[in-house]
Amino acid sequence: MAEEFEPKIVAFLCKWCSSAGSDLAGVSRMEYPPNVVPIQVMCSGSVSPLYIFSAFNKGADGVLVSGCHPGDCHYIKGNYYARRRIHLVKKLLEFVGLEPERFQMSWVSAAEGTKYTQVIKEFVNELKPLGPQNKLRRNP
Amino acid sequence: MKRTGVFICHCGINIAGTVDVKKVAQELAKHPGVVHAEDYVYMCSDPGQNLIIQAIKEKNLDNVVVACCSPTLHETTFRNTSKAGGLNIFRCEIANIREQCSWVHKDKSSATQKATKITKSAVEKVRRNESLEAISVPVTRRALVVGGGIAGIQAALDLGNSGFEVILVEKNPSIGGHMIQLSETFPTLDCSQCILTPKMVEVSKHPKVKLMTYSEVQDVSGYVGNFKVKILKKPTYVDPDKCNLCDECTKVCPIVVPNEFELGLTGRRAIYIPFPQAIPASYTLDIKACPGLMPIACGKCADVCDVKAIDYDMKPQIIEEEVGAIILATGYDLYDKANMAEYGYGKYADVLDGLQFERLCSASGPTKGQILRPSDHKEPKEVVFIQCSGSRDPENHCAYCSKICCMYTAKHAMLYKHHVHDGQAYIFYIDIRSGGKGYEEFVQRAVEEDGVLYLRGKVSKVFEDKGKLKVWGVDTLTGKHIEITADMVVLAQAMRPAQGAQELAKKLKLAMDKDGFLAEAHPKLRPVESVTSGMFLAGAAQAPKDIPEAVSQASGAAAKAVTILSQERLYHSPTVAKVLSNLCTGCGMCVQVCPYEAIAHKDGKVEVNEVLCEGCGTCSATCLRAAIQVKNLTLHQVHEMINACLGG
Amino acid sequence: MAKIEDLKEEARKLLREGKIKYVIGYAAGTNGWMASPIFIKKPEDVEKLVWDPTCVHNLSRFLVDEKRRKEREKQPDKRPVGIFVKGCDSRAIVVLLQEKFIDRNDVYILGISCEKGGVVDEHKLARKLEGKKPKKIELGDKGQLVVTTANRKAEFPVEELLAERCLECRANFPVISDIMSGEKIKRTVEKPFGSVEKMERMPKEERWRFWKEQLDKCIRCYACRSVCPMCYCDECVVDSINLAVSADTTAEEKADKVKWIQRSAESSENFVYHFVRAIHLAGRCIDCGECERACPLDIPVRFLNKKLEREAKELFGYEVGFDPAQPSLVSSFRDDDPEDFIR
Repeated sequence: MAEEFEPKIVAFLCKWCSSAGSDLAGVSRMEYPPNVVPIQVMCSGSVSPLYIFSAFNKGADGVLVSGCHPGDCHYIKGNYYARRRIHLVKKLLEFVGLEPERFQMSWVSAAEGTKYTQVIKEFVNELKPLGPQNKLRRNP
Repeated sequence: MKRTGVFICHCGINIAGTVDVKKVAQELAKHPGVVHAEDYVYMCSDPGQNLIIQAIKEKNLDNVVVACCSPTLHETTFRNTSKAGGLNIFRCEIANIREQCSWVHKDKSSATQKATKITKSAVEKVRRNESLEAISVPVTRRALVVGGGIAGIQAALDLGNSGFEVILVEKNPSIGGHMIQLSETFPTLDCSQCILTPKMVEVSKHPKVKLMTYSEVQDVSGYVGNFKVKILKKPTYVDPDKCNLCDECTKVCPIVVPNEFELGLTGRRAIYIPFPQAIPASYTLDIKACPGLMPIACGKCADVCDVKAIDYDMKPQIIEEEVGAIILATGYDLYDKANMAEYGYGKYADVLDGLQFERLCSASGPTKGQILRPSDHKEPKEVVFIQCSGSRDPENHCAYCSKICCMYTAKHAMLYKHHVHDGQAYIFYIDIRSGGKGYEEFVQRAVEEDGVLYLRGKVSKVFEDKGKLKVWGVDTLTGKHIEITADMVVLAQAMRPAQGAQELAKKLKLAMDKDGFLAEAHPKLRPVESVTSGMFLAGAAQAPKDIPEAVSQASGAAAKAVTILSQERLYHSPTVAKVLSNLCTGCGMCVQVCPYEAIAHKDGKVEVNEVLCEGCGTCSATCLRAAIQVKNLTLHQVHEMINACLGG
Repeated sequence: MAKIEDLKEEARKLLREGKIKYVIGYAAGTNGWMASPIFIKKPEDVEKLVWDPTCVHNLSRFLVDEKRRKEREKQPDKRPVGIFVKGCDSRAIVVLLQEKFIDRNDVYILGISCEKGGVVDEHKLARKLEGKKPKKIELGDKGQLVVTTANRKAEFPVEELLAERCLECRANFPVISDIMSGEKIKRTVEKPFGSVEKMERMPKEERWRFWKEQLDKCIRCYACRSVCPMCYCDECVVDSINLAVSADTTAEEKADKVKWIQRSAESSENFVYHFVRAIHLAGRCIDCGECERACPLDIPVRFLNKKLEREAKELFGYEVGFDPAQPSLVSSFRDDDPEDFIR
């Protein structure tokens, strides 16, 4: 029997909300699939489109950007810039035919361990039927 | 290649129970640049930390990665450990393999793989970290408080009593703000002037407080701990040291203009004292109203002034001050009456706003504390109070709740009943918000003891009919149309940021919320700090609030300012943005996105003020040329971290 | 069709009086029909200037070179440069002003309205003429294009010959100029993003195949980048050859630099390159179409930019190149920017 496909996901988590939220999920021992490797950034506003393109190019099956809810940004408005920038990147990726499920953004606060868990579970579930992302992956 | 040591913590079984820590160590040992990898049961214990120190020395390590719990817990611990081993603290990074890995997964093999990737990612980051030292700047240990209302007075007193010099700037001729206009205060009904004037005197006599009335902040430059302020001192044309308050000048002044302090209910002369207890106790010549400063134009006041206090040659002065912290207590004004056409404001003399009603109730007011109709000076027998006038109406007026109106309207109705025993007070309300110590009891008292009639609903129209005011409304509890023939209508007007406060905020580059109130740095956790480091908020400048709230926030802001002023130097994280000027074209997108005004144009490029920069990195994601990057989290570092996370 | 006699007169006068350094304009092309850029320094050479639907180039790109030149020179001639611009080109200048790359005093803008015309698409023309070379192309009185070849004169409706971007153009006259010729006629464009919408309607996999096929062709000659007035960076982020090197920079440190893409022109790398270019042009591309025209492999790169132009407008109400004072697309936001895509 063939092994089930396990998507590789890179998650850019802002330090103050989403990474803290994911820590809370840990402290609360909430289980979720191990497919996501987090990278802590200072703010979702600091996530350059280059990171996203690069992650897909290096073989990510999915990429997540997660920040503080609007109005809650530790840096006041970084997440608003992120929202606009990430939206454009998403539209561009979809325009060339990348599956929209592969690139996602979420607002996860430091109190939302449950939501973080939920986001990851759903993300992994949505990616599994799609199989490996080969469209933008660099030839090994 | 830089030599990195990796230390994997078992955290008892917290990590080792799910992650094969030996395997992680083996995998990491193979990673380029890693010259040492070991695991230990509790890295944060003394023996664990000693392992790190020992390895740094024996293996001549340049960098340390500790794979353990979240960096929020032990990053400081292990950075200090690395320092003890002789490394710069930024040569140590944490790989979070507990909260973000072992605690949330069950399958050992995949958790081990993930832990390996997280740790490799930290190795890739740390080997490109710069050694940095905290940024430090000296502090000017004095403060500026803008606004001489109750919030500003309280903040100035707290700062002065903490031993710091304070400059208190007030744009009007006297301090006191709106509180000095109030008759009595809820929920205790103590006299507002009686409780405020002692504080006014205290602040004016305080050895540490420099009071500057009739003055306005014109410009602020610099940054936290080191602000330079330009203050415009407007001429009053009266020397307060000479003036003996004989009041002869007002008797001869031929000009009468509406009295601002009495909200236009009476007039005042062009030369005037705002109110008897004004501080400074001196007269002011209102140059806009005065026919001219030349004796040839009028000059009557100077003629009668025995002590020669009047000086027509007084000029505006710009005073420059240096301060380390600034508190903004610019207060509020009532929502412009011109907007309330439906309630006949401005058209009918007997439709008043809350502050005007305060003056009518005040013993020192235009009617000496008798509640009389402005139109015919008769005692009103039926008074309608309308709450939420301009508040909670996103379509037409202000969307927010002005917070204090429920309480002061109850007070007004109560005071009215105390003055006019046979009168009837009606209050139209949407709902009653009486959260606060003794507030709910106060509203109940108005209803039960003073027989105030509360009507739930909105007033649709107020119009004059045969010398009376017809008030049309709907009682939403019974669904019935209500018509009241009233003698007086009092509108609980919405609170707005004070006139001029928004211009000041722009000069200070302070963020405002959508309604123009000054924005706090965080709605829950940093409610008295502004977005700009070193500037704090107090009172209604930040949002509508009542006196106790304004006072507590002022004390809070003062305490926050003391955290800066009490330091000789300020220290700041050095992981700030850095401009690669060979790549910068000076397009200024980073300048626009920076939430802290930390980036400025300079000679066709930009430069970062490291003291203001908080290192959020929004600039770096915005820059098209990678010409601005945050130290120790550069695009290159993230690029390599992505690679490591994907197993590359 | 707009006459440029008054602009020529102005150019002559400015050159004669020494008020401008030189004029960048269009001259009759050397390959027989398509206009080519010309730099005019002497008033007597102004006669060489032409204006017809073959003036395809966005000359504002030369302002980038001019700025570089000035930066190199020890004592640069700081007089402004005269430049002929169409509507789209003028908006490129607005973006350059917005990004403080040039100063308004650096340029003297001679604007020409395309009126009901625009510029021709080489490929459409070649197909129409079945390989014959045109001698002259003009905009006729009735808004048609009049093409003269060696042996005949034919008329075509503009739709058949104009570049697609011209047919989708919403501002076909200069939005900024010191002197302008022609009328400010707004063409009625029913579907300003028609071509992009057509592609959006394609099924996802078909769209993918299309782009895969197109970007497979890319040889990364970077012509699109070289011709673009917005690609004025000293170093493109995808190249990252520039490195702060000091005496004690080790070989290892020199080698340790970010490589967002490999140099090989491999399909996935090409995607990253074109993504980076598109996202960096979001809110900046004024759709002059030069990238697509310059592409030796006829990759429709313009679509990627057009797509983001459309999203900027639809999602954020952002229009490019009309106001030099407005903050850039990605350095601004509205509280109510859409976020239905966020979990």
